[in-house]
Amino acid sequence: MSGALGLALPTLRALGLVAAITVLAFLCIGAVPGDVVDVLALQGDLTADQQAALREEMGVGRPLHERFLAWLGPALRGEFGQSLRFGLPVSELMWNALPTTLKLAGLSFGIGLLLAFVVAVGAIARPRSALPALVQAVNIWSVAVPTFCVGIAAILVFSIWLGWLPVIGNLWVPALILAIDRAGELVKPLYDELKEQQGAPHVRAARAKGLSAWRIGVVHVLPGAVPVLLALSSVGLAGLLGGSLTMEVLFGLPGIGSLTLNAVHGRDWPLLQAVVVLLATGVVLINALADLLHRLVDPRPRR
Amino acid sequence: MMIPDLSRRGLLLGGAALAAPRGALAQPAAPRSGTLKISTLGLDTADPHRHTGSIAVQQAYVEGLTSIAADGSVEPFLAEAFETTHGGRVITLRLREGVRFHDGSAMTSAEVLANFERYRTRIRGGMLAEPMRQAEAVEAPDARTIVVRLKDPYAPFLHLCSEFWVVSPNSPGWDATITRPIGTGPFTFGTWVPNARFHAPAFEQYWQPGKPQLAAVEFDLRESGDPSLALRAGDLHIASVGRDRLTTLSRDPNIRIGKLKDIQWFFVAFNNRNPRAPFDDIRVRRAVAHALDKPGFMRFVAGTDGIVTNQMVIPGNANFDRALHEADPYARPDMDRARALLREAGVDPARIRVEMISWQNSYAQVAAQMVSRLGFQVNHVPLDDIGAQRRAGQYDWDLAVFSSGPRPDVFLRYVRLMSNGPNPVLWGGIQDAELDAMIRAAVAEPDQARRAALYNTAYRRVLERHYFVVLGHSQNLIAQRAEVQGWDPGFTWSPHWASGGIAQVSLGSRARG
Repeated sequence: MSGALGLALPTLRALGLVAAITVLAFLCIGAVPGDVVDVLALQGDLTADQQAALREEMGVGRPLHERFLAWLGPALRGEFGQSLRFGLPVSELMWNALPTTLKLAGLSFGIGLLLAFVVAVGAIARPRSALPALVQAVNIWSVAVPTFCVGIAAILVFSIWLGWLPVIGNLWVPALILAIDRAGELVKPLYDELKEQQGAPHVRAARAKGLSAWRIGVVHVLPGAVPVLLALSSVGLAGLLGGSLTMEVLFGLPGIGSLTLNAVHGRDWPLLQAVVVLLATGVVLINALADLLHRLVDPRPRR
Repeated sequence: MMIPDLSRRGLLLGGAALAAPRGALAQPAAPRSGTLKISTLGLDTADPHRHTGSIAVQQAYVEGLTSIAADGSVEPFLAEAFETTHGGRVITLRLREGVRFHDGSAMTSAEVLANFERYRTRIRGGMLAEPMRQAEAVEAPDARTIVVRLKDPYAPFLHLCSEFWVVSPNSPGWDATITRPIGTGPFTFGTWVPNARFHAPAFEQYWQPGKPQLAAVEFDLRESGDPSLALRAGDLHIASVGRDRLTTLSRDPNIRIGKLKDIQWFFVAFNNRNPRAPFDDIRVRRAVAHALDKPGFMRFVAGTDGIVTNQMVIPGNANFDRALHEADPYARPDMDRARALLREAGVDPARIRVEMISWQNSYAQVAAQMVSRLGFQVNHVPLDDIGAQRRAGQYDWDLAVFSSGPRPDVFLRYVRLMSNGPNPVLWGGIQDAELDAMIRAAVAEPDQARRAALYNTAYRRVLERHYFVVLGHSQNLIAQRAEVQGWDPGFTWSPHWASGGIAQVSLGSRARG
């Protein structure tokens, strides 16, 4: 496959995926009972006439395909319209929320990756220490303990009993909780991969040549584990973009997760649609980047 | 020609003096300090005239012509006095002197008149759009007087003026949607991050001398999450909390629990717009009412604080009818009577599938269990707020379990029972021209005692027709930290009113237990 075609096909595939998710999201949002006027009617005392007038003013009563087409043109130019509920530009709401989510996702991913790497490599380097048991423990913790439980426990201990940290707006505690969760997902496969690489013929040959343990580890073992690490990382990072909702809610972080939840509650479809497109694009980009890096570090897929 | 009703005028002007804000008395200005952090309800729009439910935040930066005192009465606010004449058709409001908008300009009748006009001509949605259309003409004979001429006498007008928030016509977006309101409140419109937070710094030229005492107020607008944790940690000073948190919070020496003065009332509504057999039979409705264990339900909802009655208001309210309360045939459950009524109606409950809708609250399940004890097959469908709103409006159900919160005037409860009333779905969409006429008669009656009697006549009809069954009332809990001084929850969700609220609050030093 030529280089240009090799680049074009994944790009087209990614664009197709984003388009499919966009259409699917629109259909799903359209199927949800109720609209933003119901939200307003519920909160206030709107007569049937006032509700009808608002529906007309906001265009929420129009057929789904009409709404989609009216939304699509501006959306392709990056204009996502106004939030029906708050009357503010959707892009403003998203850009306000995005830094919080990126910070939380970035911090937890970075710390989680580092933790998983250190523990897995340490466990390989010192197989008779407690580190291999720690690999299992972190992995089981990640699978068995829900992050929101840890979050509530952390609030009780650090914020209420000890009074060290605030509850609202605290970024580090939720980042650490998510980091440990992420580390647990990464550490076991990474450890297993490193162990497998240790027994690989080229590593045995290096050992037979009398190379130092460090050189064998860094030059021959680690590169073999990078593809697995990349694949797991891309899944983990993509999950963090939209998956930190519980931490955002618990710690009062106004990120994309909270914004999505509120858009669903408020039947604010322009906001919800834009968030879905943003997240889908983010996930597709992360996966595309991971694919690209995978090709760079592992020549096999190119053959 | 105006014919003043002197007794009423005297009463109101006297009341005005009594209700004069405490800050109006000369006192040395203390330096403002501290940021009060509150979490109660959200903010859905920056435009105070378009709000449909933002009744707990806007009052920080905008004020009404009147406000609702903690006992539910109307008190003067931006209007320092008011009088009702011509049999309730003319309302004259005397504006307070020295009130400034946040841009430094003075508030005069011209600005207030512009606000009336904006409500009457440009606002289609919002709480006050319809009441403001009751005004046939609004005039400003001088810089401090507003005269409202109503089409018909409209008694709730002054109560509703508590949510008639005066905004400077210089506010950005005045011609469409206000994006940055310039109000007269003790705090200014600062930074709003929807569904996250709203920060409002103190207004240096606020008209009440020495107020506010705080440097700023910050509202936590998150709709999800448990504010009790942040309250205990000291991240919030005042928060609305659920009763399931009461035990934990009561144990914390740094936290005091108060209650909103008006109530949340709980009811089971029948589908009145499109009733299906056998619930179109009054005997079946009576049977359901007999099966509902009101004391048990209210114990579940509010523990020992629950108030069991058959009315939309509680004892102590001017509209409460004690005789009607004491004659409630459903005050205690009576399953034998309920079964006898079903037999009399020829209904075998085992063959009836009851469609019951509600929000996703645990109390609705309790009501569903009570109905199912009669032997009905109850298909209880708990829906999220909007799903329930939509489903209720389809009128394809039999029973609905809902609740409704504090209101500045009892009219806002009765209006939901009118054929063309706002959002009638929770009460089964009553269509009853005679009831409408009774409510209109009450609304048109300027005298409070006679009005209460007329409202109660209308309510008797509601009870006779069994449009819904009131289960009882509870008060919303408002928890506050010990360092908050000068705060006691008001009648409604409003955080600021003439005789209380955040303008009077200061923050003391923080203690830890």
